[in-house]
Amino acid sequence: MSAVYKHVLDAVDIETFLICEDEDEGKGLIIKMLEDMGFNDINVVFIEHNGPGARIRARGYVHKSGDKYGWLNTRRDG
Amino acid sequence: MKSKKHKVLLAPLDPVHDIGLKMIKRALDEKGHHTILLPPDLPPEEILNKIHENKVDTVLISRTLGYGVAEILGKFIDLIDASGLRDTIKIALGGMAVTPELATELGFDAGFGPGTEVEEAVAFVEGREYKPDIGKFVKNKKDITQRYSYKYTDKEIENLLDKITSQILEWSNNKTSPGVKRAELREEMLKTSNPKELAKLRNEYKELCDDVVKNFYENGKLHSRTRKLTKEELESLENYVAKIKARMKPNGLQHIDKNPLVFIQYGTGCPFMDIAHIKLCEAWGTDGVVHFDPSWGARTEGFFEGYITHEEDGSVITPENLLRIKKSINENVLWQVRAHRGLNTPETVVLAGNSGADLTKINIAYGSLGGGTDPERLTVDAISAIKYAAKYNMPFDVVTNEELSGVPAYKAFSGMLIVSHLALKLGGKPILQPLFCYSPEVMINGNMENNYIDFNAAKIFVLRKIIDAPIWPGAPIGFLTHTEERVQSSITTALHAGLASSLGVDAISIASSDEAFSGGPIAGASRIDTLKATKEVFRFLGNAKITPTKKAEEWAQILQENIKKILTKVAQHGNFVSALYEGLLGSREEGAYPGRAGRNTVTSKHSY
Repeated sequence: MSAVYKHVLDAVDIETFLICEDEDEGKGLIIKMLEDMGFNDINVVFIEHNGPGARIRARGYVHKSGDKYGWLNTRRDG
Repeated sequence: MKSKKHKVLLAPLDPVHDIGLKMIKRALDEKGHHTILLPPDLPPEEILNKIHENKVDTVLISRTLGYGVAEILGKFIDLIDASGLRDTIKIALGGMAVTPELATELGFDAGFGPGTEVEEAVAFVEGREYKPDIGKFVKNKKDITQRYSYKYTDKEIENLLDKITSQILEWSNNKTSPGVKRAELREEMLKTSNPKELAKLRNEYKELCDDVVKNFYENGKLHSRTRKLTKEELESLENYVAKIKARMKPNGLQHIDKNPLVFIQYGTGCPFMDIAHIKLCEAWGTDGVVHFDPSWGARTEGFFEGYITHEEDGSVITPENLLRIKKSINENVLWQVRAHRGLNTPETVVLAGNSGADLTKINIAYGSLGGGTDPERLTVDAISAIKYAAKYNMPFDVVTNEELSGVPAYKAFSGMLIVSHLALKLGGKPILQPLFCYSPEVMINGNMENNYIDFNAAKIFVLRKIIDAPIWPGAPIGFLTHTEERVQSSITTALHAGLASSLGVDAISIASSDEAFSGGPIAGASRIDTLKATKEVFRFLGNAKITPTKKAEEWAQILQENIKKILTKVAQHGNFVSALYEGLLGSREEGAYPGRAGRNTVTSKHSY
């Protein structure tokens, strides 16, 4: 993962509209998208499918409580 | 000395937009300057003619649209240069498409972009340095209990509360618990600097703790999913906080003085992440922050010590963690450490008081019916905690979250009023905390089928009919109306904040926009969503109000009658603790279960 992610306080949220058949397809697509961006800890915070596709908000956690936070510039950064 | 009056030409070099210039014109006129506002979209040549004709000394040009900016404005400056006016007049540029850098590059003396205060332009005209009105944004810590008399309007309720609280105090006389004793020891530990004395006290302390805590003091072992923060991490935190403090310019949320104070709850698990969340909330205008401890901490006898981080929700209370957090909080931001449930209630108040907390949170009824602590134990502990709160001059809210389990509001309010009256007798300063929520009770009875306003308003109306006391709806407002959808969640928070402000309450606690998302921790950015939404609703309403329907008054009346019935039953029952076990303040059928943590640990003071 790029060093720039050290600056993320906790998580990156991606909000978009995906053209898809149903919620399941939308979830699969957004998870794949975040995986391709290099995230490991991925959650779908919100999804609502209607008509052409899904309004979706997905989250990739960079720093969780108890981690070593990159933004602190610790020697053992995470 | 009389200040120089300027002759100012204001010209919108734009097809339509001249609102900014009109606002500046008004301010300049008020200060006695002579102003000439040109109509929009005159060609640069014509503006130049007007400058000549009127012999102005200052020109303010505005340009909102982004396209062709450099070309048009460059041409204007070329014309000014060619006319020989450049050295005799001052020219500034403002508008949505403008940045100070762009203005300088084009040859203007100053540039005012989006967010510019009118006063900045006035200062430019008057040739003085602009000093932001920082007083507008400086927070002052408010004591929200100060203007209240705590006098009862409903004397019948006052008499019932007097009777019940006398019974409680009589019952508790001569009773103690490991929690009470640990709080006493902790106070002594905090006072002593003698290592031998400290070791002796710590030895006594650990004998009153559960094995998991005892093991820490004897073998240094921590609770699972926790770890000690390293020296390097602590140093990095110091640097981080110092850097943030140096560049912090906190916003204010309130639009008028009557808007309530706004609190957020943190409790990420890690004091570092807590501090990071606190700092961003401070920047975006929060008035107060609430410390949220882990649920296992409430069920465990005794506290750990040291800088400890935790991987789950709720941040571990230790003397060091609290002090570290306190050190990072802006001095004008209120800090509440909640102690409303659990086996460490009195000690939490002692630590909060010694760490410089402004507020705490105590309620026997919620803590024992919805928070998992044995009613007998929590009653003994809460009396001790209330005394410490009074000693450390910390007002505390009396939360009614048992409503979320299904306890009807009138029963939850009865419990809240009993604890509040107990506090008044013990010298404390209670703050009433009704829930603004879509509770199981209203779902079943349909009180919110039409709107979310009337039943919440009824709660405020009834409390005002009973006692003159501060009110702080929580926690968070709009509980169970939030969804995982960010916009909906922010709007419901904002609307409940608007209702709270309309009802003239003293403070509110708000959720983040991802509060309803249970898949992971709250993200910092989601806190900004609801802080901004709350600020916007305060701005939207100003002195206007959300008006409840007549249902609110009707329900307030019913609530008051039902509260009297419950208090009468509790008073007649003769024993508050037994009333809690027997469901008078919330029954098992309603979803209230007397807690088990700490059962059979209350003893006579003489047994210690």
